[in-house]
Amino acid sequence: MGRKDEILLDMRGISKSYPGVQALAEADFSVRRGEIHGVVGKNGAGKSTLMGVLMGIRQADSGSIAIDGSALRHASPQTMLDAGISYVPQHINLLNTLTVAENILVGNLPKNRFGLVDWKAVNDDSAARLKRLGLKLDVRQPVEGLSVAERTMLAIAKALFNKARLIILDEPTAALSRVDIDLLFSFVRAQREQGVAFIYISHHLEEVFEICDRVTVMRDGRIVGTREISEIDVPDLIHMMVGGGVQEYQRETTAGTETVFEAKSLSRRGAYEQINFALRRGEVVGLSGLQGSGVDELAQALFGLERLGVGEVLVDGGVFDPDSPRDAFDGGVAYLPQDRHRFGLIQLRPVRENVTYSVLDRLVSRLGVLMRKPEQQITETYIDKLGIVTPGAEQRTMLLSGGNQQKVVFAKLAATQPKVLILHEPTQGVDVQAKVDIFNIINDLASQGVALLVISSEVRELIGLCDRILVMYQGRVTDEFTRAADNMKPEDILLAIEGGSGYAKA
Amino acid sequence: MQRLDRHHLLEFLSRHFIWVVLIATVLVFGLTIDGYLRISNITNILITGSVLGVMVIGQALCLMARKLDLSAEGTVSLVAVTAAWLMLPYRETDLAQAGGLGIELDPLIVIPLILLLGTVIGFVNGFMIMKLNMNFFIVTLAMQLVLRGLALAISSGAIMPGTPAAFNWLGGGRVAGIPVSVIATIGLYAVFGFVMSRMQFGRKVYAVGGNEDAARASGFSPARTVILVYMVSGFLAALAGWMLLGRLEASVPNLGVGITLNVVAAAVIGGVSLKGGEGSIIGAFAGVLFLAMVNNALNLMNVDPLWVNAVRGLIILVALVIDAQKSRYRGRAGPAEPKVTTGAEPNQKPALS
Amino acid sequence: MTRTGPNRLVSLMVDNLIWLFVISAFIAFSLLSDRFLSPYNLGNILLRSAAFGMLVLSQAYTFITGNFDLSVESSLGLTAMFAALMLVTSEAGGWGWQLNPILVIVLMLVLGGAIGLFNGVLITKVGVNNLLVTIAMLFVLRGATYGISPGTSISFFPKEFTWLGGGTLARVVTDNGNFVLSVAGIFVILAFLVGHIHTRYTQFGRNMYAVGADADAARAAGINVDRVVIIVYIIAGVCAAFAGLLQAGRLNAATPTMGANLIFAVHGAAIIGGMSIYGGRGNIIGAFGGVLLWSILDTGLNIMGVSPFWIDVSRGLLLLFAVLLDALRVRYQRNVQLRMSLEDTTIGLADKAHGDG
Repeated sequence: MGRKDEILLDMRGISKSYPGVQALAEADFSVRRGEIHGVVGKNGAGKSTLMGVLMGIRQADSGSIAIDGSALRHASPQTMLDAGISYVPQHINLLNTLTVAENILVGNLPKNRFGLVDWKAVNDDSAARLKRLGLKLDVRQPVEGLSVAERTMLAIAKALFNKARLIILDEPTAALSRVDIDLLFSFVRAQREQGVAFIYISHHLEEVFEICDRVTVMRDGRIVGTREISEIDVPDLIHMMVGGGVQEYQRETTAGTETVFEAKSLSRRGAYEQINFALRRGEVVGLSGLQGSGVDELAQALFGLERLGVGEVLVDGGVFDPDSPRDAFDGGVAYLPQDRHRFGLIQLRPVRENVTYSVLDRLVSRLGVLMRKPEQQITETYIDKLGIVTPGAEQRTMLLSGGNQQKVVFAKLAATQPKVLILHEPTQGVDVQAKVDIFNIINDLASQGVALLVISSEVRELIGLCDRILVMYQGRVTDEFTRAADNMKPEDILLAIEGGSGYAKA
Repeated sequence: MQRLDRHHLLEFLSRHFIWVVLIATVLVFGLTIDGYLRISNITNILITGSVLGVMVIGQALCLMARKLDLSAEGTVSLVAVTAAWLMLPYRETDLAQAGGLGIELDPLIVIPLILLLGTVIGFVNGFMIMKLNMNFFIVTLAMQLVLRGLALAISSGAIMPGTPAAFNWLGGGRVAGIPVSVIATIGLYAVFGFVMSRMQFGRKVYAVGGNEDAARASGFSPARTVILVYMVSGFLAALAGWMLLGRLEASVPNLGVGITLNVVAAAVIGGVSLKGGEGSIIGAFAGVLFLAMVNNALNLMNVDPLWVNAVRGLIILVALVIDAQKSRYRGRAGPAEPKVTTGAEPNQKPALS
Repeated sequence: MTRTGPNRLVSLMVDNLIWLFVISAFIAFSLLSDRFLSPYNLGNILLRSAAFGMLVLSQAYTFITGNFDLSVESSLGLTAMFAALMLVTSEAGGWGWQLNPILVIVLMLVLGGAIGLFNGVLITKVGVNNLLVTIAMLFVLRGATYGISPGTSISFFPKEFTWLGGGTLARVVTDNGNFVLSVAGIFVILAFLVGHIHTRYTQFGRNMYAVGADADAARAAGINVDRVVIIVYIIAGVCAAFAGLLQAGRLNAATPTMGANLIFAVHGAAIIGGMSIYGGRGNIIGAFGGVLLWSILDTGLNIMGVSPFWIDVSRGLLLLFAVLLDALRVRYQRNVQLRMSLEDTTIGLADKAHGDG
């Protein structure tokens, strides 16, 4: 290991564009030996593209990468791995049914003089290796019995055994409790002391301040700047992330006065507590929070995918307590899931079927036969109304672009004519044009009197769309911003999302 | 654009692959084999295809729902033996033959009973799989052992000949010269073709097989749908058992043994994917016709009966290899969005502002 | 680490469930029938299921990598018939080559391995689904068995050929009958032992587990996944050929139907022995427990005068019971984990409920 503070990784002028999108523009990025370097930015800021280039998965259009001062000519996953760059994903990929020891030594188990695997040596060797890293794990335990934090540490340890010098941690704390985060952080810090460098990607700014030495901010495919962590505070960082631009989209309010949806002291163990809010007819309300803030759980519970817990929800004055999505539809609530591949679409089936799944009950004659005409009518109406670009209603949905797939999900929900529509990251993974279309759809629905709850981490979009924005932190609704009060400022909202009224006061 | 047209052509061909094969088969056999297209021979093809055909419907439904029913042939044996046992007079079991229980029930009572039995078996399968979260492969495999064993235990592994004529009507009777079993099978294909393409139930089966989570989020109950699918599969297996027993007029040990594998092969050749959510009843029918025609042709061509099985197996194998190329091709032509395997923000998102 | 304590105990019990079953079955039959513990019967338990045991071993291999091979029952029949034809005179229905028995044994093992190679290549290189390939091969090989056979059984083989399947190592005479130590019984035990050492103590064996646990992760660790799977299919084919040798040797005959319809019972034995069709789990010794259990049920019910037809019923029910226990274990572990994660939290204490949906 060389001296600390030397530059380990130096990326210069990296550019990468996709058809219609400049994903990275002239990015300069460097990491020192033995530092933990945070990389922050909104979704789509270019973090994943930059990391993809660094891992050799994506080829940059231009720019150079140097490791330890020597330039890399050709960047493939293997050369990057050989150069000591390792990636630890959020969902750890290990041999779950096998023991910790075997995972560490897989492919190269110690043998005795008969050429047979020496299990005592396997266990002792792996235990000794872990001990050198200061990691206490029972090496005889199957990996499937480990906690998420332990798996993450094991993955880091494996990377180190493979001579990794720079380890990319991608949202490692998303699924961890505070206790586990402390465990992980102390392990990471200990490795830093040995000269290992880390790139730490996270939306949790608080944690970035806790563990990182420096932080690089990305926005719109550019590096906004790199700062020593001691020279910056959370509000500054957020300011860098948000930038000074103005949002392009600004919706006129369509909110009525009549309340259609009301949550009263909703609590569920381990997810959220004392949730109180109401939606009026035609109102668009934003809801934002980090992973683990209870936002996801609340949305799924309102759609009957999870238990609602104690408290009460009223829709149009009637009690709403769905056991299944079917109940939720019947009660007038529809939900656009974040993961449309898993929960939104049946990819193999045609557009027509996907649009009408939610309303089949209404399309059957008394004998249970589907009536073709009304079905086609509904499908064509929505293809037309939402501008779904498809060769026809019979096209398999998997062949549509991301934006059009999302519109198909919209059509399915709109067809139920819901009173309340919950949208979970509706613009994730769609192109600019589809994004504008989706805003228009939201606007149309709102002006027809549908109350919309938009869950999104895209604060700027929320400000353009919403009449009000609620922020959840650690299971509670902690802040409310309204257009009426004119306090919807991106910096303030982001600060609140990071749990930060405390920072603002400090 | 040119690439797109080629893509559509290939998509079209791969979707209707079985029909191309079927037409080619008819042409080749029709031209090369004397009397292949004679009415009597066609009837023959259809009769031999009918029991297989009925079972393929049930299996196709299971495959469409991304499941499998290995127990279907066990159901065939059990209902056939049970029916014979309930209908036949008592006699001492000797080496080769066995009698019934001695209550000599009327076929009109026995038929609904065995159909109910098959349905109940299907329900038990579905319940264990969906409600108790047991693996469908092992559940139906174990069920197959249980059912076959019960069938052998009831019959003592002996032949039970002499089922009543009223019972044999489905398997052996003719209406206006056309075998009842053929009419019934074609009727069932018409009914299930309609159910799967035009009725709510069919829509749900495809949805559950295509993506169980999304089906739930679309307001369906996957558990209910899958349990129903297994009940249909059990019912149809019982019907096939009735048909087979009626044709043979005797319950023989090992009735239906090995048929499940033929059934799965026919369904897959007919375009029903093992990965669920795809395929059609009419395609499965084509698969059945294909297998029946090949069997028949092998007979007519005087292929040594001992070699028939091997040749048939080879033909199935070739069909599967072609099918694998088809799905490989389709895998490449899949979603336009690039899939990233790193897990790091999989979607490329342009910034708005 | 204390968290996983109780889970580990439960896992340990469920992982070794097969031996609980074997021991209880053994005790139960000993109590139910005094003839069960007779020396003759004990010697017979393994002999009668030697060929079956080799098929289970073949499936244990494929299961570890997350594959299966339905065609092994037909490989058994084909290799046995193939050997028979090479051994006997043309008057007896053979090809009249009357080859050296040792050469014949080598040839039939080569044939088994070649069949496995073919399966493995189709699955890994051509990309055909493993279920469908091996179903088709089941037909092809059985058909070929009928095809090459004279249509009837062939019997009376040279001693060297039948020694492994039908030979006797020692005979102990007691008051209670004779205890026969059969070659086949010892051979099966040895085969499983070799299998155990191979899968547990060699790099290749551990690579098999890695492939079954997660093929992508195995690939990332530098393991040639296709090569491992192909070799495993070859081993499965050779095991099936050994099964054919044992069966033909014990019966001193080869019939075209030999081995037919065994496959579901074979899979059942491997699964109840703790193997998983999804790969990466279980071990060869457990699979041997599955063979023992099936065999004990077989002989036990037989001795008690229960019709042999009830044996499959009891196998099926036991298998269902084992799968049910496994499903319950998964549910239990999930609940425990959920409860522990909820105990860590301070959010939503107003909600007393612990369970979650």
